[in-house]
Amino acid sequence: MTRPAYTPNFDGKKALILHRPHPVVDAITRQLAQLGIFCDTCWPTISASAAGSADLIFFDVDLGHDEQFPWEHGQAPLPAIALIGSEAPGRLAWAISLGADAHLLKPVGSGGVFTALVIASESFARRAAMHSELDALRARLEQREAIAEATACLMLQGNMPAEAAYAQLRREAMTARLTIEAMAEQIVDELRAGHVHHRS
Amino acid sequence: MALRGRKVAIGVLFSASGPYAAIGAEGLAGTILAIDEINASGQHDFVLEAQVRDPQGATENYAALAADIVATSGARHIIGCTTSWSRKEVIPLLEKSNTMLWYPCPYEGFEAHEQVIYLGACPNQHVLPLLEFALPRFGADGYLVGSNYIWGWETSRIARDAMEAAGGRVAGERYVPLGDVDVDRIIEEIRLKRPSFILNTLIGPSSYAFLKAYAELGRADSSFQAALRPVLSCNFSEPELAQVGAAAEGQIAVSPYFQNLATEENQQFLGVVARLAPETEHVSAFFAQAYAAVHLLAAGLSATGTDDTKTVLGAVAGRAVSAPFGPMEIERSNNHAVLTPRIARATSAGFEIVADQCVAIRPDPYLAHVATRSAPHASHLRVVK
Repeated sequence: MTRPAYTPNFDGKKALILHRPHPVVDAITRQLAQLGIFCDTCWPTISASAAGSADLIFFDVDLGHDEQFPWEHGQAPLPAIALIGSEAPGRLAWAISLGADAHLLKPVGSGGVFTALVIASESFARRAAMHSELDALRARLEQREAIAEATACLMLQGNMPAEAAYAQLRREAMTARLTIEAMAEQIVDELRAGHVHHRS
Repeated sequence: MALRGRKVAIGVLFSASGPYAAIGAEGLAGTILAIDEINASGQHDFVLEAQVRDPQGATENYAALAADIVATSGARHIIGCTTSWSRKEVIPLLEKSNTMLWYPCPYEGFEAHEQVIYLGACPNQHVLPLLEFALPRFGADGYLVGSNYIWGWETSRIARDAMEAAGGRVAGERYVPLGDVDVDRIIEEIRLKRPSFILNTLIGPSSYAFLKAYAELGRADSSFQAALRPVLSCNFSEPELAQVGAAAEGQIAVSPYFQNLATEENQQFLGVVARLAPETEHVSAFFAQAYAAVHLLAAGLSATGTDDTKTVLGAVAGRAVSAPFGPMEIERSNNHAVLTPRIARATSAGFEIVADQCVAIRPDPYLAHVATRSAPHASHLRVVK
């Protein structure tokens, strides 16, 4: 059984609300204050300083557009909560394409912000972890060529079968405290630079 | 509409019958007492008229009866609800009809509705001060037992955070269906695990059955006596203590109000009870908080001359008023009461207060400003006995 959840805490965090002045903004601001969250309101664009210091963002879906955001489309670097008035499929598709981690339906009353924050933070953490794992896997995929090349070089140099050459590559990586991919790249680079090695 | 010379309808929505009638009746009695007192005093130029409905403890009755109060009497204010389920049921009606609910019970927090005024304690005013008292005295390896319902789940979850932050671990955690009195397996598990204490969030008959069975265990094995391994409760009140009797002796409860509170405000309040409701046997926090709610509402009506909810709220929030449990204030940002938690021990003469911080705690319904995960700060409770 997994441990029950901790009490989520947002005390001292900073939120950005990208929405024109409206009672919705007042309602969200009131709820954020109860959670100890400061907030900045921006419209129609996000200033660089506001974007830099914010921990999370609420953005309007009804009047929102791509050019408002100082980051690549779909790559919000912080938990993003969509503020949805019109449930028109086109607007929902835009909110999804922007990478909303959670949403709040307008009008906003006395509740909902805490739930949206908890879900958005969790979903953003998962999104961030998935992206960094994906980057690492991509990098390893690119380095597979180097492993094949380094293994072939060692086979030729040492006149040994593939298994033995790969085992040697792994040993050298361990000794140098490098990943096997990094060791392979180093071997290939050295050979390309014309160094002659006598490997034991 | 000006109130001068008018009868102002006040909704009263408590379950004086059904599974938690003992607690519902307290809220009802406190409300009616305050209305009678205010009308008899002639201090205001209006008269309060109670519109009483009894949902009989059935959650599905609350919304319909609240709607009936509003439709038939035009009441803009309802004093009522005991459980969180019933409160959640009436909120849509409050929004639609611009009605205010004055909710006089402790609950598990994580709500702050603009049309609800919360006069009972939320977790940073009940379970956290209770554990702050108990952990240094009894240890941090508590056992969590509650009714299978949001109050038990959430209060236990908060307690788990606080216990682990203090270096303890949860010795066990069990939930009992509402109304169930079969607690033998839980008692057996407690006997085997020997926790530092038991945090009890059981409701009504389940709680009474548990306390009786635990007293039995304490008689069979002295290491389970209340002085060594107490049962701690956030919702154990005077009429319930009277019902459980000697079996609860020595167990510990937290509340902003106990009948034995030795303050001038309480003596005055008990004097009013004796004068206007002499048949009253016990007075609990549920009673006192409902009573305080009506007085606060009347002060708001009187100050503004209207029963419009926003206007009345504007007049009563953020101002310290006198209540049976001492000075009280409704925090403007979240509509919850600033309250002083007291720790008491159950005795044959009611609850005896053993620790009183004498410090009012601002309500923090979302636990935004309480670090439940880091080590709690050193106890600064003042032991008065």
